Amino acid sequence: MQFLIATILYAEHEESGSNVSLVLPERAELIAGILAFAIVFFFVWKWALPTLNQTLETRQQAVSGQLADAEKAKVEAESLLSDYQAQLADAKSEGNRILEDARATAEQMKTDLLSKAKGEADHIRSKARDDASAEKSRALSDARTQVGDISVDLAGKIVGEVLDPEAHQALIERYLADLESL
Amino acid sequence: MQDRITGYANGIFELARAEGELERVESELFTVAQALDDSPELRSTLTDPQLPLEKKQALIDDLIGGRASSLSVDLVQLIVSQGRASELPDIARAVVEAAAASRNKAVAEVRSAVPLDEETIERLAVALGRATGKSVEVKVVVDESVIGGIVARVGDIVIDGSLARRVDSLRQAVEG
Repeated sequence: MQFLIATILYAEHEESGSNVSLVLPERAELIAGILAFAIVFFFVWKWALPTLNQTLETRQQAVSGQLADAEKAKVEAESLLSDYQAQLADAKSEGNRILEDARATAEQMKTDLLSKAKGEADHIRSKARDDASAEKSRALSDARTQVGDISVDLAGKIVGEVLDPEAHQALIERYLADLESL
Repeated sequence: MQDRITGYANGIFELARAEGELERVESELFTVAQALDDSPELRSTLTDPQLPLEKKQALIDDLIGGRASSLSVDLVQLIVSQGRASELPDIARAVVEAAAASRNKAVAEVRSAVPLDEETIERLAVALGRATGKSVEVKVVVDESVIGGIVARVGDIVIDGSLARRVDSLRQAVEG
């Protein structure tokens, strides 16, 4: 752009022949500058620009790759999060199930224990009742036997004491009579 | 044990018969046997393994030394010294039975609460002989546990006419 402005100013200078020449370069210097600019432009266009473009493209590809990686990582993270949440849900469900099983088992154990305790209590009560009944019968039987023994012993002693010699002789005579009648 | 009792009885029987004291010896041994039967204290003293033999022999001398024949005393001492005091009653009965058998008689052991007179004993011998079909010799044992009446045993035959039996029957009826 500056080059064009300088060229236009020069042309106008040539045509007007004014004092612009104080500002504008000489023709040869201008041509040399144009040539130098063209040469610099050519080198920049030919080598520096592609290199720069390539660098930029590489940079862009790197950024794109990083973005892709980030996206991939994000997807993976989301997948992991999803898996984690699913596992958490499973674990929670499993925990609830275990808790429910434990509660059911405890309830069953409680029922069994109560049933067993009740059975044992019934058995003990029944046995105690039977024992008491047997003990009562045994005590009654023992008492009856003891009373009978005591009474009979007493009767025997009384009979023995009241037997006088005549009564003894009468018993012996009766024995002999029975024996002789055989 | 029965063989040992029979062995002792046969030995004593032969010895007493050889000495011409069979009747006395059998009577005295029978009396000693009754004393042992009637006195658990005497029986336990004579059978006590802790009591020295000398003390047992002294006790026997005190009890029958002056009243029984020396042969009977020696025989009792022999049995006790051999540690057979617990079998003395059975040995004495076996001697009595062996002596009666030698006279072709059986022994009738008659238990009564009171002593029996000779007439009653003779009547018992006749009646028991007729009842058992054997010629019997009556050995009387005074036993207060009979209470009243008589219990006679001839071998395995027992004829019980005692009040004790009636009391037992009454006891069984009460307990039954």
